[in-house]
Amino acid sequence: MQQHEIRRFVERYFTANGCTFVEANDDYLIIQLTAEMDKELMNRPFYWHYIERTGGVPQPMQLTLITRANERTDKLKGERLHFGAPRLHQLFRSAQKRGSFIRLYEEPSMPLHGNAALHPWLGMNVTISYECDRKKDEIVSLGLHLISGTIIESFHERLRERRLTPKIPDYCFTISPLIKPRSGIGRIEQYIRGRIAADDHTWADEAHRRWADDLALLDEFYKDSEEKPECYYIEKEALEKQYKPRITVSVINGGLFYLLPRTS
Amino acid sequence: MNIDLEMDETWKEEFLARVEKDGPWASWEMYELALEAAHHLSVPEFDGLQAPKHLPHLTILPHQLEVARRVVEEMNGKAILADEVGLGKTIEAGLILKEYMIRGLVKKALILVPASLVSQWVRELNEKFFIPAVQQKKSYVWEQCDIVVSSIDTAKKPPHRDIIYEQPYDMIIIDEAHKLKNNKTKNYEFVQNLKKKFCLLLTATPIQNRIEEIFNLVSLLKPGHLGNAEQFAKTYGKTRAVQTNEHLKALVNKVMIRNRRADTPIEWSKRHVEPVLIEFTDEERELYEAVRALRHESFAGSFSLITLLREACSSREALFLTMKNMIDKCGGTVPESLEYVLEKINAVTTNSKAEKTLELIRSINDKVIIFTEYRATQLYLQWFLKQHGISSVPFRGGFRRGKKDWMQELFKQHAQVFIATEAGGEGINLQFCRYVINYDLPWNPMRLEQRIGRVHRLGQTDDVYIYNFAVKQTVEEHILTLLYEKIRLFERVVGELDDILAKMNLANLEHYFEDALVHSRSEGEMKIKMENIIAMIELAEQLGKEGGKQHAAT
Repeated sequence: MQQHEIRRFVERYFTANGCTFVEANDDYLIIQLTAEMDKELMNRPFYWHYIERTGGVPQPMQLTLITRANERTDKLKGERLHFGAPRLHQLFRSAQKRGSFIRLYEEPSMPLHGNAALHPWLGMNVTISYECDRKKDEIVSLGLHLISGTIIESFHERLRERRLTPKIPDYCFTISPLIKPRSGIGRIEQYIRGRIAADDHTWADEAHRRWADDLALLDEFYKDSEEKPECYYIEKEALEKQYKPRITVSVINGGLFYLLPRTS
Repeated sequence: MNIDLEMDETWKEEFLARVEKDGPWASWEMYELALEAAHHLSVPEFDGLQAPKHLPHLTILPHQLEVARRVVEEMNGKAILADEVGLGKTIEAGLILKEYMIRGLVKKALILVPASLVSQWVRELNEKFFIPAVQQKKSYVWEQCDIVVSSIDTAKKPPHRDIIYEQPYDMIIIDEAHKLKNNKTKNYEFVQNLKKKFCLLLTATPIQNRIEEIFNLVSLLKPGHLGNAEQFAKTYGKTRAVQTNEHLKALVNKVMIRNRRADTPIEWSKRHVEPVLIEFTDEERELYEAVRALRHESFAGSFSLITLLREACSSREALFLTMKNMIDKCGGTVPESLEYVLEKINAVTTNSKAEKTLELIRSINDKVIIFTEYRATQLYLQWFLKQHGISSVPFRGGFRRGKKDWMQELFKQHAQVFIATEAGGEGINLQFCRYVINYDLPWNPMRLEQRIGRVHRLGQTDDVYIYNFAVKQTVEEHILTLLYEKIRLFERVVGELDDILAKMNLANLEHYFEDALVHSRSEGEMKIKMENIIAMIELAEQLGKEGGKQHAAT
């Protein structure tokens, strides 16, 4: 993540959460937090407990974040933001918590002649993690048409091309889904399973081989002992934890999208 | 396909609940930010290192990066890190731990280090790696904190031991792992029974050891890698050192990485060493001679004359303390010769070394570390400097860790001078200072190196100045000459002597010196003994060089 991407992310995060910028220049930001954001980020539960109990006037804190350090910012009492900075990772977690569930409607770009039907879609962004003693992730964006059952990939990119709004636009109506959300999620899971099964799993074969090799060494080490000591079993279990290939699918976010049908 | 697949259920239930309740729903912008965050946090490749991208402020040296890469990609996260002293094994371990944490492969880790280094590890992991490591202080820490640093002595005791065995640790890091060379010890057994998914053993001296020791160390990490005990004894029992058996060396190198200073193109800042010869005043000279005369006494065998002589070179306070003990032991009658020495102690009114120290500190006009061997001298110096308006911080090995940190900080922030006794050497970093006065020289060159290592280490960007004090025409001058001209200690690469002495089992150099300087009955005998020591060192060096060539060729 480049420094300018961090900067952009932080600005968007605080703007989206209703905070204002006391000062904003190329080097740093001073952010006036809202009460809600203060509670979310500043970790001072006793203060907020006290204010709420006594009915005092809350004074949310200001946060100074330095995105480009130089002599000017050295004098500042602020936090330097870079890719590994704990603060940035806190914002990542907060964004993921606050951006998990959504429902949006497409706004027609041209004036409508009569009413327009919006089709229901279930959109899900998922991380597929392939894990043994090493790990890699893949992020997949899927969309399920809740009437036909069609599943498409790169769904999120398609959403970006459309104008979306939280309220149903005038002269539009939604078609009720034939597939209920719960079974929709089931279909997407099924699709992911199929997708994974078709993958190349050399990585898992190799992990199995490393595992088998180490296990053979371990057995050799204790082969002369009639009754294996406890540490043999501990080590064996540790090898399983270390090497056993596993895949986890976790949902980043997702929701319902009512979209105008497209021919393309 | 034979792979476990796990689907995350938490999102699903929450989502369905919100559909039911018609919200609340996130804004499109938050939704996009969440996805963007996930993209930044995901790791798209099995290979390569992510950690350096997270640590832009940290200067990672190429050899450290290479170690981390090899441990993750080629050694499956189990390795002995055996770089020579000063190459940054802690950085390597931190880098590897960070990498696994970023990839989500390590959530809980246990770091076992010597008690004196616990808080330093905690600090470095937090400050350099943003790893929220915690020092184990209360027993609930084991369960509630993910990254815990503790001493092995605490960890192995009940009730901690059993709690630790219950924890699902993903990674175990053990510093100073050469202490686990004996498989009959409680420490060894404790570590053997830890669940080691990933494991790093850190040691600077793995290979000079006896061959069974390397077997024990490797078997702790990867049981069976060197066969079982019986096979090992049969195959390699006659091998005297790991280096001499190519096959064994190759096997060991699969689980061990050792970088040598000579192999890394690190540019060390310069080290200026200056001998400072001091002239005694007449009173001091008389005192010194009075102590020297004690060797003709009948009770001369019952005490260490050399200690007294060295104390006489340090301060009359140091000498007095030892004399007092001797007199107490004599019972009622104090031998005349001791009375005479006491008289001479009283006659001394100045301390030439201290005067010289003061003069030097004033001319340096920057932070200075003074090392002395004696507590009494330490106290005296502190008082003496105070008389001249110079603030100083005393430091001893016996201090508790918290006090050590506090003193170190005090020196950094408020005082000009840091006065340490010998034992203060371990586990403190004083890179912010670059002037060292060796007020008295230790007789063991290794200890001298440790002292200098406090300031002249990786991370020291400025040149370092070392002043070695010695009083003319005393034992100190002999030692100084020996260290400078014969061993050429100060011209060597850091740690080189370490290797040489270890090879020849010369760690007790001090005793050889003492024997030569004190027990010699004539100047001639002393000279011969000294030359023998030097010849031994030269021989070791010769062997070391040949070994080094072999090492480079393989």
